[in-house]
Amino acid sequence: MSNDLEANIQAAIANPQNLGEMADADAVGTVGSADCGDMLRMWVKFKEEDGRRVIDKATFQTFGCQTAIAVASMATDLIRGKTAEEALAMSGQDLSAPLGPLPPMKIHCAQLVEGALKDALTPGGAPVAKEATSPTLFDQLNAPKTVKITLKS
Amino acid sequence: MTATLSPEMTMQELLQALPGAQRALFRLYHIGGCASCGFRPEETVAEVCARNEGLDPAEALTAVETACAEDAKMLIEPKEAAAALADGEARVLDIRTREEFDAVRIPHAQHFTQELLQTIMGEWPKDDLLVLVDHQGARGLDAAAYFAGHGFTNVRSLRGGIDAWSLEVDPALPRYTVE
Repeated sequence: MSNDLEANIQAAIANPQNLGEMADADAVGTVGSADCGDMLRMWVKFKEEDGRRVIDKATFQTFGCQTAIAVASMATDLIRGKTAEEALAMSGQDLSAPLGPLPPMKIHCAQLVEGALKDALTPGGAPVAKEATSPTLFDQLNAPKTVKITLKS
Repeated sequence: MTATLSPEMTMQELLQALPGAQRALFRLYHIGGCASCGFRPEETVAEVCARNEGLDPAEALTAVETACAEDAKMLIEPKEAAAALADGEARVLDIRTREEFDAVRIPHAQHFTQELLQTIMGEWPKDDLLVLVDHQGARGLDAAAYFAGHGFTNVRSLRGGIDAWSLEVDPALPRYTVE
């Protein structure tokens, strides 16, 4: 990654915008699964403005890579004031534009954000399908849910 | 690069030949850390390299092989970790289940949660000593590699996990089994 991109990502995750659940959201979209470690969920609230129904606020939670956090932080700011149709027209590249061009290995992170947004704004829309991958390092951070523990005497 | 490794081998074959390859791939190239940068077992090394900035597969395999040989450097001995913790020079991150953590824990250890992960990534100094603790050392190296791949320069895995801590540092800390 370029130094500029790395610096932009670090700056974004040091002060992420619009992080957290929104209790009164009008729409919610999710891509991935928290159980498998790579999930992004987005909440969207609309308002009426000049006769148009535009996005008033969007928030997110993610357990993905730092780049996904940075892109989601930027994207939730970018879509404010746009209609659902305008927001849906934005690609992952558009949503990550403020960070600078992403290298190929990081484009998936922007697509994660794009997928959550599309899931939230497309009526009846399904999350973007993800290909099954081998177990990842992140999976190793997630211990099995339930265990029976027996202390040794 | 040894003769057993080749760009045409699948990722599954690579992981069988070099069990630490996934850790090395993430540390070196940010590949295989989470689902966003993961790979499919049937993909070849060449295919994964091609879609990751066109890495040279032969060079990548050589680098991975070298890095695997250095896995041991990511381990920290229980007594060394205990000394660093006593001196206030280490953060201990426990990646076991909440049930295990509640039953037995190293003093001052923090239990890993998804929420804490975001704090760690955003706020914890990247050069502080970060010690990852699991039960018996099986998952710690992978977890440490995840943080190393995110820029943590002094992350280590407790050799033998909390079980080794009970044996070598604090016998009062009960050992346990899980089912």
